[in-house]
Amino acid sequence: MIENENPDNRLTERIADNPRPALVWAAIGAVLILPELGALVQTAGALVSAVLGAFGQAELGSSIVAFGEQIPTLLSRDVIPNSGYYDGTTWQETFLGLEPGVAWGIRVALVYLYSAAFIVWLVNGYFRYREYYREADWTPGDDIINRFSRHSWGKFGFAVVAIFLVMAVFAPALGPTTVDKNIRDPYSYEMSYWDEETNSVESTVVGQANIVSASKGSAERNVGPLQYDDFGRFHPFGTTTDGKDLFTFVASGARVSLSIALLAISLAAGIALLLALITAYYKGLADLAIVLTSDSVQAIPLFMLLIIVFVVFSGTWIGNLYDGAVLMVGVFVLIYWPSLWRAVRGPALQVSGQEWIDAAKSFGQDPLVIMRKHMAPYVIGYLLVYSSMTLGGIIIAIAGLSFIGLGISPPTPEWGRLISDGQPYVASISWHISLLPGIVITLVVTGFNALGDGVRDAIDPQSQGGESTEAAAAGGSGV
Amino acid sequence: MSRWQYLLKRILLALPVVLFGVTVTFLIVRLGPIDPAAAILGPENGSGAEAERIRRQLGLYDPLWQQYFDYLVNLVTLNMPNSWVISPGTPAFELILIYLPRTMWLGFWSVLIALFVGIPLGFYAGLNPNTSGDYIASFGGIVWRAMPNFWLAVILVSLLAQSKDLLGFEWSKLLVETNIVTPPSIAFFNNPVEFITNPGETFTELLKAIKQVAPAALVLGSSSMGNEMRIGRTAVLETINSNYVETARAKGLSERSIVWKHVFRNALIPLIPIITSEAFILISGSVLVELVFAINGMGYLFLQASVQGDLPLVGALMYISIVLLVSVNILQDVLYTVVDPRVGLEQN
Repeated sequence: MIENENPDNRLTERIADNPRPALVWAAIGAVLILPELGALVQTAGALVSAVLGAFGQAELGSSIVAFGEQIPTLLSRDVIPNSGYYDGTTWQETFLGLEPGVAWGIRVALVYLYSAAFIVWLVNGYFRYREYYREADWTPGDDIINRFSRHSWGKFGFAVVAIFLVMAVFAPALGPTTVDKNIRDPYSYEMSYWDEETNSVESTVVGQANIVSASKGSAERNVGPLQYDDFGRFHPFGTTTDGKDLFTFVASGARVSLSIALLAISLAAGIALLLALITAYYKGLADLAIVLTSDSVQAIPLFMLLIIVFVVFSGTWIGNLYDGAVLMVGVFVLIYWPSLWRAVRGPALQVSGQEWIDAAKSFGQDPLVIMRKHMAPYVIGYLLVYSSMTLGGIIIAIAGLSFIGLGISPPTPEWGRLISDGQPYVASISWHISLLPGIVITLVVTGFNALGDGVRDAIDPQSQGGESTEAAAAGGSGV
Repeated sequence: MSRWQYLLKRILLALPVVLFGVTVTFLIVRLGPIDPAAAILGPENGSGAEAERIRRQLGLYDPLWQQYFDYLVNLVTLNMPNSWVISPGTPAFELILIYLPRTMWLGFWSVLIALFVGIPLGFYAGLNPNTSGDYIASFGGIVWRAMPNFWLAVILVSLLAQSKDLLGFEWSKLLVETNIVTPPSIAFFNNPVEFITNPGETFTELLKAIKQVAPAALVLGSSSMGNEMRIGRTAVLETINSNYVETARAKGLSERSIVWKHVFRNALIPLIPIITSEAFILISGSVLVELVFAINGMGYLFLQASVQGDLPLVGALMYISIVLLVSVNILQDVLYTVVDPRVGLEQN
């Protein structure tokens, strides 16, 4: 509204009046983005080719990807390589001739430092906006953010979620090796290694090396966490039952799990928001219809439905779309919007009864504008809380499906498959195969729950937490 | 509106809910790409005279609406079609009657473990807020709740299998000798008179059956346990700071009677909705836990039926699960009106 009254005072003009803070911020941003420009161009190219690929024209996208590969990128495997071989005196082809483990550690540390800097930059941008360019000295949002920044449990959740999001985004750079080379197609790549028996550098196929370095539960057939295998390859989380690198598997599994879960929950939350606004505004029949629909959907046992859907559709074109991820997102959206809608129905009804809504109605404001401007901001906060808590359940359900061999089709990495593979070796020396992925899942689910707790306490300090719907959401799907 | 009218209304509203669930199942199963004849005869024999005969026999050439109608009538009259693959010729309902008691037995103990561990811990944390005991209990509850059940089950099985080396005692020989992963033997329920006529042996059987499901029940109850703890803690904190507790304290009531008479009972109210979420966890989550512990219950039957394409059994199991869930939901709402008369019947 203010913008319309003072057209002279738009954000761009406010920046023009006092450009220094914005310029400093933009300059820091440019410095931060520059070293990753290549990766950004590649990602954009991959997106373009994914979209155009649906129309059978992937060439433009792949040429962008190729162009992006030309640009040197700070956090790539080429700049800080960790896969090399020992030639009897020094390490060859690794970063500065360091040990592979150290080189890998440096790359991981750099990735996380870079990401931390990036997050700090974003947060700093918001505070600069708040301090220099926002017209209002105070908004209710400020209180929410201040409360969140004092909430240590919520900040812990934010940090854990950030760690896993970075892992998902930088998965190819974080793994000591790549999915393609080590997991998907190991027999198409050669590697060199130092053979102790012949005292010379030999070369072999990655697949062959994998067979030797498998973890099978006995002391001589195990490569545990932070160990090197016989071929001088470093395994931060050890190897799987067929000798593949567990960390690479887990990192790209994070990408699969988190993208499915985040996509599904945002779509479900979008539907829930739309319906909550409509039902709270119009009430009556609209509300009753959605109540009935949501009750019906919620009465279907989620995990059983997932099992039938994946049994029935396995091998069909829809089941094979992105290794089954599309089908999975679809089922999750259909199943989860009702519980999210139920969770925000109360707050939405509450806000629709406020006087300012009546006031807006009485001067003839458009219903869509009322919903968007006067109701949605209040509802979105709650939606964020419940979405964050529901995410854990989705991640566990994805893993549970792969645990029984359904869901995301192999060889695409998924956490649940590791737990199932390592099942016979839990109480042996190869405990890492099952235990580490499970700990990773527990951590990420706890992180999302804690984030939800923090946001809830920030937007609604009156509530003491632990409402029943919330607890049910956070409890996951019971898988 | 009286309580009975309310109950009746809830049941009427539940009918479309169940109908929706079974319709979705019907659509997925019948319109999906699974060929029943191929599922029965094996994938190579999907065509030919034999497959043709089976298709005709199953009524697959009838119009779709007629198949749908038959399916609904069969479900309502519990005259469910025979299983195809798991146990050919056996009516699905008979199979369910064999497998269901094991799941009920498991569910009973998982609810009990969750209640008797979760609520006391939560109340303890709520009565001693911000002490180290509270922090340990709260943090434990949070982590316990975030762990995937199937993962917990896998770890527990391995731990118990090697309990002699890892824990210092042998689980399978503890108290009575049992296997670690096994369906519980609950045959003694068939003639409960034995508890009086032959108590010694029957109580050993009972103990055995409890021990057989105990680890699985612990895993299945884990997330409810965390929830109950958390909600119990909040509820106690809320009641203990309320005005009537302060009044009771002011008039000199002993701390003990404040806690037991005023705090405890009111703090139980918000724990009721946990029953519903627990029922969901039991029915949906028992699939994987039963698989790992080889309980051979409903969940296990469902998994086998779906993987092997035994569609009538899948449909019947889905129907039973939905009816169970809806009934628990209604039960919860009625329980609410009994425990807390303030929950207005009119508002619903």
